[in-house]
Amino acid sequence: MSAASLLGLTFLVIGESHMSLPNFLMEPLSDDLTKQGALVYSVGACGASAGDWLKKTPVSCGAWRTGNGEVVRKGRDASTTPIKELIAADKPDVVVIIIGDTMASYGKPFSQAWAWENISHLTKEIASTKTKCIWVGPPWGDDGGRYGNKFGKTENRVQFMSNFLANNVSPCTYIDSLKFSKPKQWPTLDGQHFTLAGYQAWGSAITRSIVNLPDIKQAKK
Amino acid sequence: MILDKFYAFVIAVTTSSVSCLTYADIPLYPTGPSQDSAFVRFINGTDVNLSVVAGETKAKVSLNVNEPASKYYPVATKVKITGEFSDGKVSNPISLNVKPSEFATVVALASGSNLKQVIVKEQPDDFNALKSSLALYNLSSTGCTSAGLLVVDRSITLFEKVQIGTLQRRLINPVSLSVQLTCNTKPTGKVLDLGLLQAGQRYSIFAVPTADSPRIFFATDTIAR
Repeated sequence: MSAASLLGLTFLVIGESHMSLPNFLMEPLSDDLTKQGALVYSVGACGASAGDWLKKTPVSCGAWRTGNGEVVRKGRDASTTPIKELIAADKPDVVVIIIGDTMASYGKPFSQAWAWENISHLTKEIASTKTKCIWVGPPWGDDGGRYGNKFGKTENRVQFMSNFLANNVSPCTYIDSLKFSKPKQWPTLDGQHFTLAGYQAWGSAITRSIVNLPDIKQAKK
Repeated sequence: MILDKFYAFVIAVTTSSVSCLTYADIPLYPTGPSQDSAFVRFINGTDVNLSVVAGETKAKVSLNVNEPASKYYPVATKVKITGEFSDGKVSNPISLNVKPSEFATVVALASGSNLKQVIVKEQPDDFNALKSSLALYNLSSTGCTSAGLLVVDRSITLFEKVQIGTLQRRLINPVSLSVQLTCNTKPTGKVLDLGLLQAGQRYSIFAVPTADSPRIFFATDTIAR
């Protein structure tokens, strides 16, 4: 991966809790993409599912960041911003979506109709703006160490969720995070949210994948 | 449920660069809804214009002969859905419950000078944005106890042995198709041009009775926003 592989491209990265705090994914991912020459707008909203990005939706915490600047955190007054408003404001060449764990219904039956409707609505909304789109699926978790698996994330369900996303995010390009590590390889705080080392590894793997996507190579021409 | 204590402790042992407030603010959010979504739509299987009126809100939807299918409406699963079909002269009451994950289709059919209805429910698990999903609903009369669908000019059977009051659904490649109904394996009625199917889109073909032989019509399964 050569430096400045993404020079001239603007990215809008939206996501769930993984993207909502400084030592989670937002910082290493936006740093990595910025190092590749991209202008990166990052927006995170804790617990936000795909459908929550279609209208302003209150969430319990969130954050935003431009490039490698300071992360601006939002507390209980946080909310999502409709994806069309974000696209209109930031004018990205590529939208990157980091959503999976919030829609996987860990510990209960998978809500397939709900997930399909939310995912397809968001991808169609983005497609209507003619903006390229990349959807990054959920990574493996672990048992949560001494704090337990707070979200009930299991290998079977995360594999199911990843397969479901792979089949349903088109016309977005799917990045399968399960290929980046082995189950339980990256330690977590709670079964789902990684330590900083895990987020750095995930962010680096996502960036490598993005740089090598044919769509991205085409977009730079 | 808040993970205040948990994250406050984690921050103390994992990093010193972030304030305790950072982790303490992360809630344990739900991963998915408490129950799955459910939907209902209304179909005009007669040869006259109908309307359907919702029982509670009195919202009215026209089901014209040329546009006989409503969108799928998201519905609550814990309350009975009521309403009525009407052609301006006679009406037919609607009353049904829909379970989580169900897509219910309520079809109005002619019954002499009156209306009757058939309710068909499905719980699809074939969601796929790379393929087209096509269903055949057999709502015809006794003249077509076993319905099927042929791809015209390609000698391909898309569906077979669809019993009355049921449906079959399958994924197909998003291509241009013309199809013809079969009743008990015999080609029946006119050829229907579906045009170019779209990837990720869901479609339904309805076989309904007429005075002569069953006819088919085509609808896109659209969710009301």
